[in-house]
Amino acid sequence: MGTMTRLLNKPLKTFAIYSLIILVVSIPVYVFVVDYIWINELDENNWLTLQHTKQKLQSKQFTNDEIEQINYIWGELQPGVSITKVWGKSIPQDSVYEAIRPNKYDLDDGEDRFRCLKSYIEINGQPYQLTIETNVEESDETFVAVAVVTLLFFILLILGFILLNRRIATKTWKPFYHTLRSLQSFELSRDSVLNLSSTDIQEFQELNQSLELLVKKNVDTYQQQKSFTENASHELQTPIALLKSKIDLLFQEKYITPEMLVILNGIEAPLLRLSRINKNLLLLAKVENHQYNEKEQLNVNSYIESSLSLFEDYINDKNLIINNNIKDPIVISANSFLLETLINNFLSNAIRHTTSGGHIAIKLEDRRLFFCNSGITALKTRHLFERFSTTSKDKISSGLGLAIIKEIANKYNWKVSYCFENGYHTFILAF
Amino acid sequence: MKILIIEDEKELAADIVKYLSDENYLCEIAATYEQAAGKIFAYDYDCILLDLMLPGGSGLQLLELLKQENKQDGVIIISAKNSIDDKVNGLKLGADDYLAKPFHQAELAARVEALIRRKQFDSNNIIIQNELSVDIHAKTVMVNDKLVSLTKKEYDLLLFFIGNKNRVLSKGALAEHLSGDFADMFDSHDFVYAHVKNLKRKLKEMGYIGRIKTIYGTGYKWEQ
Repeated sequence: MGTMTRLLNKPLKTFAIYSLIILVVSIPVYVFVVDYIWINELDENNWLTLQHTKQKLQSKQFTNDEIEQINYIWGELQPGVSITKVWGKSIPQDSVYEAIRPNKYDLDDGEDRFRCLKSYIEINGQPYQLTIETNVEESDETFVAVAVVTLLFFILLILGFILLNRRIATKTWKPFYHTLRSLQSFELSRDSVLNLSSTDIQEFQELNQSLELLVKKNVDTYQQQKSFTENASHELQTPIALLKSKIDLLFQEKYITPEMLVILNGIEAPLLRLSRINKNLLLLAKVENHQYNEKEQLNVNSYIESSLSLFEDYINDKNLIINNNIKDPIVISANSFLLETLINNFLSNAIRHTTSGGHIAIKLEDRRLFFCNSGITALKTRHLFERFSTTSKDKISSGLGLAIIKEIANKYNWKVSYCFENGYHTFILAF
Repeated sequence: MKILIIEDEKELAADIVKYLSDENYLCEIAATYEQAAGKIFAYDYDCILLDLMLPGGSGLQLLELLKQENKQDGVIIISAKNSIDDKVNGLKLGADDYLAKPFHQAELAARVEALIRRKQFDSNNIIIQNELSVDIHAKTVMVNDKLVSLTKKEYDLLLFFIGNKNRVLSKGALAEHLSGDFADMFDSHDFVYAHVKNLKRKLKEMGYIGRIKTIYGTGYKWEQ
């Protein structure tokens, strides 16, 4: 599946990247705007100061010496303003400019940017140059300040996104995640209805309704199929019983020939198989339909022993060597009939599929029961535990033995598995 | 001996009658709950074969009825409802035995015979077949007053044969009798042959010859 992203993290990432781009772009724009306003203001301020100064200078009728004196005092007290005599015939135009000057009070770089206004005035027929300089923040300093503030806001924005996202996730998407969990835990063989909580979000409500409908249809079909199996095998029981009893009666007929007996035997064998399949189908249906629900504390050990003695004749018939390594009692909670069926199926399977003189071993390793029987090639594991997936050509096999084992194990949440190791077919029941 | 067969499947009831009629049995059939209840009220039977699912009521109700009436009839439940609940409930309500359908007629006949034998308190518990005698209580077999030592399976086989005198018993029926319900899990029942052979040999050693006949390709027959 690769790396998966949760639905809500997708827009979060995009939003974060988008806001980062916008904020980064905004930094120079802010710097430019701030600088522009700043300089305009200063120019206006310089111009006002100039007008004021000009007016005062002209109305006060200062002598040339007094002008010198003023310039000297200004220079001492307020270095931003100066008035100096101009030597020359023509008077130049007013000018506005920027100057960078060293400043011993500036601790950063020892430099300052100044916004300057240069103008000219005639006092007592003598032209004077009037200069007004105002300190202005350098634009790189503005840039740093704006960038720092912007970054701060970006962090706030992201934190806000994450928090809001979480809130939305827990509130708005709650019904969605609830639906998801309900679906994940739903099992057709166990649950009959899918219960989804109602929500005020239209899309989710529609989703839930569609899902409930879909599941209901599936459950109905499944139930029909289940009850069909059970009904069918119920109905088959009587004809099978009749056939069996008719054959028993035919065997007793006086004028029956050996040839007829051979044919009769030929009927009896498949009938036996039919009867077994039917019995197993009925058993499967009953386990599926949650019958056999009574539970007791049972000792697996004694079930294995009674099963071995039940099959003693078949074991001796094939000269099989049985190693039952289970000594201590294993107590589990289960239905007696189902446990008996489970153990009998494991063992009868092993006995049937072991060639004469083979080995069967039964052992326990931390709550795992092993049934091993000697064999030559591994079985195909793919559909091993499915119904009628029998791999053998065995005439008696109902094809349901392992399916029954699986079904009973499922009922109690036990696990069954198969492997082929060192020449042994090994079936493992983990409980 | 009177036997009441309570079974709604007429064909099956007729087969049972036919199979059992060779013996000294008088069989009657009841196909519904009403008929069965009527017969149970009116007569005493040595053995009742009882199907649980009947038109008009349940076989378990009939068991309750028998109990109320203090009847001593022996009851064998024969039911297709092969469920442990039915078996347990039936036995709790006083049934003596339980046989799940489909069954071999031979198995039913042996169970009927065993039940009737158990119910006859007055007689002693010894079956006598010419020179052969079987003590049911002590589970011992004597031929000409000499003890025959049999394994449990050989003893079971002998009783099964005696319960089915002059009838052909298939290997399948014999295997099912010896190994129970799970015999049908196996395709080979050769062990039956070994047990029968041993039984024959042991009886022969004591001078009891030729009762068990081999029927070609099918099974065996106890001839009396």
